[in-house]
Amino acid sequence: MTQTDTALEAALDALLLADSSALDGKDMEGWLANYAEEDEASYICRSAENSENGLALGFMYDDCRSRLEDRVTFVNDIWVGTFQDYRTRHFVQRVAYQRVDASTISMRSNFSVFMTPTDSGITQVLAAGQYLDTIRLEKAGALKLLSRRAELDTSVLPRYLVYPI
Amino acid sequence: MTEIGLTWPKNFNEVPKAAFTRKDIYAEEMKRIFFGQEWHPVAHESELPNPGDFKTFRLAGVPLLIARDREGVVRVFYNACSHRGNQLETAVMGNKTEFECPYHRWLFDAKGDLVGCPNHRDFLPGFDKSDYPLAQPRFDSFYGLIFVTLSAETETLTEFLGDSQNTLRELLGGDGRLKLLGYQKVRYDSNWKSYTDNDGYHAPLLHQAFKLLNWQGGKGRQFAATKHGHICFESALSVVSGPTVLKDASLIAFKGQDPSVGSRIVSLFPTFVSTKHLDVINLRFATPVDEETVEVHYAYFAHQDDDEDMVLHRLRQSSNLLGPCGLISMEDASIFHRIHIGNHTPGNAIFQKGVHDQSKLESEFLQNDESGNLPRWEYYRSVMGFERAEA
Ligand code: FES
Ligand SMILES: [Fe+2]
Repeated sequence: MTQTDTALEAALDALLLADSSALDGKDMEGWLANYAEEDEASYICRSAENSENGLALGFMYDDCRSRLEDRVTFVNDIWVGTFQDYRTRHFVQRVAYQRVDASTISMRSNFSVFMTPTDSGITQVLAAGQYLDTIRLEKAGALKLLSRRAELDTSVLPRYLVYPI
Repeated sequence: MTEIGLTWPKNFNEVPKAAFTRKDIYAEEMKRIFFGQEWHPVAHESELPNPGDFKTFRLAGVPLLIARDREGVVRVFYNACSHRGNQLETAVMGNKTEFECPYHRWLFDAKGDLVGCPNHRDFLPGFDKSDYPLAQPRFDSFYGLIFVTLSAETETLTEFLGDSQNTLRELLGGDGRLKLLGYQKVRYDSNWKSYTDNDGYHAPLLHQAFKLLNWQGGKGRQFAATKHGHICFESALSVVSGPTVLKDASLIAFKGQDPSVGSRIVSLFPTFVSTKHLDVINLRFATPVDEETVEVHYAYFAHQDDDEDMVLHRLRQSSNLLGPCGLISMEDASIFHRIHIGNHTPGNAIFQKGVHDQSKLESEFLQNDESGNLPRWEYYRSVMGFERAEA
């Protein structure tokens, strides 16, 4: 492994953790900031069952930057005070990555997410699965998510989702 | 049948909360309702469009296999081998023209016939494969929507649907020629009745989205169909006009042809809710898991005549609008949980909006009336054999 690979891996992990940290902190602006500014920036959350059967429908289908921005509005403005809140803890682990071209990297990571509803206080697994990411290497050297697909092994959710996975 | 002690309130607009939480009542509901004289939607034929396609589903715990044979005929089977009863197919969906049970290798075709079993010379004298097809429940279909009943005494499907037929047909794209887009599946911590009582029916004040999006509530009618108290909503579509807080307004855009059939909801006793709203066509196959849990499979569809743009529009709208994470329905999901928690308290749940006289049942309602659920509750009470208190 070369020095550059080590530095790149550290940067990929930092991006992975920044996303987890924003989500667990319910910091939707911070979540959005991990995505590239490009119009085609996307976040899709879908069961592996749908994907494997050629069904494109997702739990969340934010296939452009404006939908990512609307997702922030849903959580921060529209849904406020209407649901039972819950804490999450994301556990993420990079499994593989590949340079696609000079400015693009693809990465696959595992995730598991615990949830603890504030009313019951009982912790359970919300979802497990993998992130399939395309990552933009920006000119200034920053890494941003160009597209993320959260592919859920959990085809039957134990609860409605408020926050992205 | 067992008599269950529960006195029903004398007023038609009150429902005892104990009906939502008692284990003995749940056990009796299984017998009288889920294994009783009701039809339960389990799939739409467009979920298995090609020869050999199949889907499995648990209806109140009963495993079902719904399969399309090589000739295109769709049938419903119990998903259990006719030998010792081993679960036959484990996949949720797929494509197979033969189903092999791994236990003793009995092999069935998609017509349910036993077409192979090794070493049958060791079986009972006179063993004949044709005596061992896969067992089948009664099933029938309406514009491709496949219903199962677990009772031999159930009326015909046409009688069961009664006056809900036209609304349901319109909801199914007018002709039932649908194309599957995918599923959102979820378990709610809610009794099945708290789910059906609060899904379909809309409390406009719950949804801040309506206010933020400048969305005027549609004017429409709501009516009860048949003695089962199926609930049908019909309203012309109200489309958002003017500025919205959304940067991508396609989420709430209507691209269909005819706004007069813009919005339809059909909620069939006991658990089925279906809706067509904007360009979303959504069938919700719901089944009780236990008295505290209901599992709902939201299946979304396009129409077979849609062009590519329309399919993509429906896909983008369906994913984000009406499901367990949808812009205007996530709050409903939370209400299912909270109502169920609240039902663990004494007394009755009380319906107000649209009730004119507590001692009478009506069958026509306004769009946002709570009273639309009351004919269904009266049917539930009578099927369960609960006596209404004297005036
Ligand atoms: S149980 Fe299926 S072959 Fe014996
Ligand atoms: Fe609602």
